[in-house]
Amino acid sequence: MGLLQEAIFGVVTGSYIAIAAIGFTLIYGIVNMINFAYGEYLTLGAFVGFFAASAVPGPLPVAVVAAMIGGGVVSIALARGFFTPINHTGPVPMLLTSIGLGIAIRNAIRLFGGRSARYIETETATFRFDAVPDVPIGSVDLLGGFFVTSEHLTVFGSAVAVFLAVHLLLTRTDVGIAMRAMGDDESLARVRGIDTQLIRDSVWVLAGVLAGLAGVLMAIQTNVSSTTGYSHILQILSAAILGGAGSPYGAIVGAYVIGLALAISTAFLPSSMTGLSSAVAFAILIAVLLVKPSGIAGTEVREA
Amino acid sequence: MSALDRLPSGRGDTALLAGIACLLVGGLFALTPLRAELPSALYVFVEVGITFVIYGMLVLGLDLQYGHTGLVNFGHVVFFAVGAYATAMLAAQDTFSGIGLGYPWPLALLVGVIAAALLGVAVSATSIRLRDDFLAIVTLATAEIFHSIFVNFEGIFGGNVGILGVPRPLAAIVGDADTRMLATLLVLGGFTLITLAAVTRLTDAPYGRVLRAIRADELVTRSVGKSTITYKTQAFVYGAALAGLAGGLFALYNGAVAPGFFTIQVTVTVWIGMLLGGAANHRAVLAGLAIIMGLRLVSRFGLSVTPVSGDVFAAFRLLVVGLILVAVIRFRPAGIWGDPQELGVDQ
Amino acid sequence: MVGPSFNSWCVRGCIGMPSNTNERVNRRAFLTVAGSGGIVGLSGCVSFGGGEESGGDDGSGDGSSGDGSSDDDGSGDDSTDDGSSDGGGGPDTIALGQPASLSGQWDFLQPGVSQATDAAVAHINEAGGPLDAELEVIRRDTAVDPQEARTVTTQLIENDGVPAILGLYSSEINPLWDFLQDFEVPIVTPWPGSTFLDTRGGDKATPEDLSDDEWVWRTVVGDTVHTSGSAVYALENDLDTLGVLNGTTEGERSYVEGFLSVYEDNGGTVAERVEVEIGNSSYQSALSRLFDADFDAFLVSLPQESAITALNDWSDAGYGRQPILSDPLAQQAVIDQVGSDIHGAWAGSPGQSGPSYDTFEEAYSGRDGDAEINAWTPPAWDATIVTALAIQRAGEATPEAIQRNLGPVSRDGGTEVHTFAEGKEALENGEEISYQGSATPVNFTQHGNVFGSVTISTAGENGFEATSEVPAEDIREYVAEGEY
Repeated sequence: MGLLQEAIFGVVTGSYIAIAAIGFTLIYGIVNMINFAYGEYLTLGAFVGFFAASAVPGPLPVAVVAAMIGGGVVSIALARGFFTPINHTGPVPMLLTSIGLGIAIRNAIRLFGGRSARYIETETATFRFDAVPDVPIGSVDLLGGFFVTSEHLTVFGSAVAVFLAVHLLLTRTDVGIAMRAMGDDESLARVRGIDTQLIRDSVWVLAGVLAGLAGVLMAIQTNVSSTTGYSHILQILSAAILGGAGSPYGAIVGAYVIGLALAISTAFLPSSMTGLSSAVAFAILIAVLLVKPSGIAGTEVREA
Repeated sequence: MSALDRLPSGRGDTALLAGIACLLVGGLFALTPLRAELPSALYVFVEVGITFVIYGMLVLGLDLQYGHTGLVNFGHVVFFAVGAYATAMLAAQDTFSGIGLGYPWPLALLVGVIAAALLGVAVSATSIRLRDDFLAIVTLATAEIFHSIFVNFEGIFGGNVGILGVPRPLAAIVGDADTRMLATLLVLGGFTLITLAAVTRLTDAPYGRVLRAIRADELVTRSVGKSTITYKTQAFVYGAALAGLAGGLFALYNGAVAPGFFTIQVTVTVWIGMLLGGAANHRAVLAGLAIIMGLRLVSRFGLSVTPVSGDVFAAFRLLVVGLILVAVIRFRPAGIWGDPQELGVDQ
Repeated sequence: MVGPSFNSWCVRGCIGMPSNTNERVNRRAFLTVAGSGGIVGLSGCVSFGGGEESGGDDGSGDGSSGDGSSDDDGSGDDSTDDGSSDGGGGPDTIALGQPASLSGQWDFLQPGVSQATDAAVAHINEAGGPLDAELEVIRRDTAVDPQEARTVTTQLIENDGVPAILGLYSSEINPLWDFLQDFEVPIVTPWPGSTFLDTRGGDKATPEDLSDDEWVWRTVVGDTVHTSGSAVYALENDLDTLGVLNGTTEGERSYVEGFLSVYEDNGGTVAERVEVEIGNSSYQSALSRLFDADFDAFLVSLPQESAITALNDWSDAGYGRQPILSDPLAQQAVIDQVGSDIHGAWAGSPGQSGPSYDTFEEAYSGRDGDAEINAWTPPAWDATIVTALAIQRAGEATPEAIQRNLGPVSRDGGTEVHTFAEGKEALENGEEISYQGSATPVNFTQHGNVFGSVTISTAGENGFEATSEVPAEDIREYVAEGEY
């Protein structure tokens, strides 16, 4: 199969990561913390989606919307309970709090949700395009026949919709513009009369909604269990930082870089090394931080 | 600037003497027909105690990095793992999988420490300039990369099986189990105490004041002419080497290494221990580590008195551990015995 | 300073240096000097503190007295020591220890094993229990983390005083091998498939001589055997070239390597092998790489959840070809989630071909709980019963006695027994017995392994159903005598 097919797989993987990474990076930019518990938000969203799908035998979009609302509620509640009170202490205590909170939530989910994986039932259609000509360069085929599934299209479509919505929010609404202002310079924003706490709360809700969406999409593709989100947190985090922490646009780029790197490294590494694909993603992260510490589109993160 | 002249003859020396005493008593058990007897009820405490003294070296190194210098290393386990693997691969004689070269163990231990220190040099050379939380991410990612390399390259690192057949110097000369456990605890505890003495000397000296100054305000420190990068790199490498030593000793005590011993759980445990006790205070971080490891152990005994099933209890135990971390940072950000002013945190 | 965690740390020691009689008191750790006994006299001192003489220390060990494992003597001794020493009535209860994966990555496998163990304990107690004592199992969580397993095993053996252990995975046993041998307590485990144990463990065919023993026994067929069965079946069905998709976890790799060693030695060819990390959101890239190669069938060895993701991807992409599954994947959930494309996939499972499988199944389904039977469930039943029979034959529940009797109660020769009740009766009549298990006939080899035929189950409308069987003798051809 050709490079085109690999690129499609990479784009789909990147789309999951991108939706979550936008939320992650917004929290980073506005609240100034690396939220290690963010994976658990995805998991909670996935659970809400699962229960909505089994309680209401309606169409799947109902479950997706429920997961997004659930994610938003969870996010603001946790922020009010755990993060807002220590907002002033700086990034490191907040990072550590999120690590502790992540452990606690993961095990609380296990306690109440049980151990076994649950599955959201879906039908998948596959569309094939076999007539595409091969364009071989050496042993690599640039085009070649490919297929996409309805799941792929759903994920990619959701991601594009999220990108548009976030873009419009940040450029066309007062809240969004205030968010960007705060991300640039918080004290200046406060001087200009922006209610910084309100903006922070909005960011928490928005990040939670995105986490819920990403979580339920991952759940449809894989399953719902207490580690659904946790197993992806390192990829999300890498994407956000790769793109330049705090920048939603950078996070999107970062996510697709990671997605493509995962797909292509699985396809082309020597077969004894194919299990290393996530190490490849991290290696890219470290390389980017060293060459351009500000990430693809972000601010300087070196101190000295 | 002669650091030696100004050495305080205080706590560091007590620890040094205690450490040497431990080594001597441990050596006495190992080398003479002297035999000890442990009541079996205490076995598990000695067992966890041995793990504690090994992790003790980790937390002392980490505290040098974070507590004293402000470097947020969230991949500490990688230096522990590299020390352990290097030692194990050099010393192992008949490993089931992976490489075992069968060199004498003292050489292997030395190489383990050097390997960890070199990795420390590499990480700090590339990342020490990053902002605190980004350094955390780079170190975390480094740990993940090494973990997957250890798992993936079966022919070299033994995959998930790890390196087996590592010589156990103490077990080789002490026959009976009780004495061996006690001797192991004493010898490894001796190493930890000597480490405590060494880091206490280091941080009580003017050198330590520079480190704390960097933590408090790097810009000011630089403006008085100190090369903060050099100091930071040194602190980072010392911590890495200590973790390598702990890893090498662990390999020689356990007789095998495997990826399962070097998960992110180790990093989380030493971090919680350090924060709970109070960063920048050597004894406090050890006490904090003792509390968190003790809590885990004691909670194991709780299973029989709680009316819930084992799996509910297991999840509940971890939930509480997570909440303890959250609570400490929120309500005692300087830890139990830490100095809030020195750490620059609001109480 | 050793550390504040050892507040209750106390050491009672016997020091037998001829000239050294000073008493050393160091914090709360103290060594009691036992005079100048000389080296020979030492052995008398080195005992596991008996109840009477350690009375003063009991307060410090109170953690164990609340465990409910031992009788009321509360000293943390082997509860069963009493039984052997006073000889008369025997112990009221005998507790066995079960390290378990109650949390962590493999926790979904534990419910079946717990339920089988509990069913076996109930079955044994209904028949009066070993030595007329009530059998108990103390289950503690290791999360399949070797560091935790170390602590848990120590706690079970030393604090709970169990004379035998009924658990531990390969990834715990292998790196803790030396440590576990030091305890000299038999470990009868239903979990490990690792080839590491092929030549390690058991009594080396000399039950009475403990000096050459390695204390691990497994009641589950090793990967070498049942993967051989699957490989033989594949070759018999003209599946001569193979693609392999496997996870990098210990069990998954071990399965594939066992399979391939027989497969390739007997004319099979591997066209492509792709290793993947588990827990990914998609395996499409790995599959597309795999299916670029030309082969008759592909072998999938992944943990269940990742396997379902991968097989869904395979089904969506419409790659086709014959799937061969590793035995843990022969589960209803796989068919439910992947759908009809998986029909025709087969797995070679060692777990259900024992002579007393029906006895097990009846007792198992009579329990509360609805845990699905997996490849380790019948072996867990066997582990419990064979250990109880060893206690019964030994007449006492000490580690050494159990170790000496595990071989004799299981090996051929003697009355074949299918339940604990039959075995107990035969032993009380002075007969020798050979326990016939539910997963395998449980004839422990010299290395403490068991051997059995392999059932081929194929996925279809009604779930996985047994469609063929590779007899044990056929597999024996591929596994050298003495090397398993």
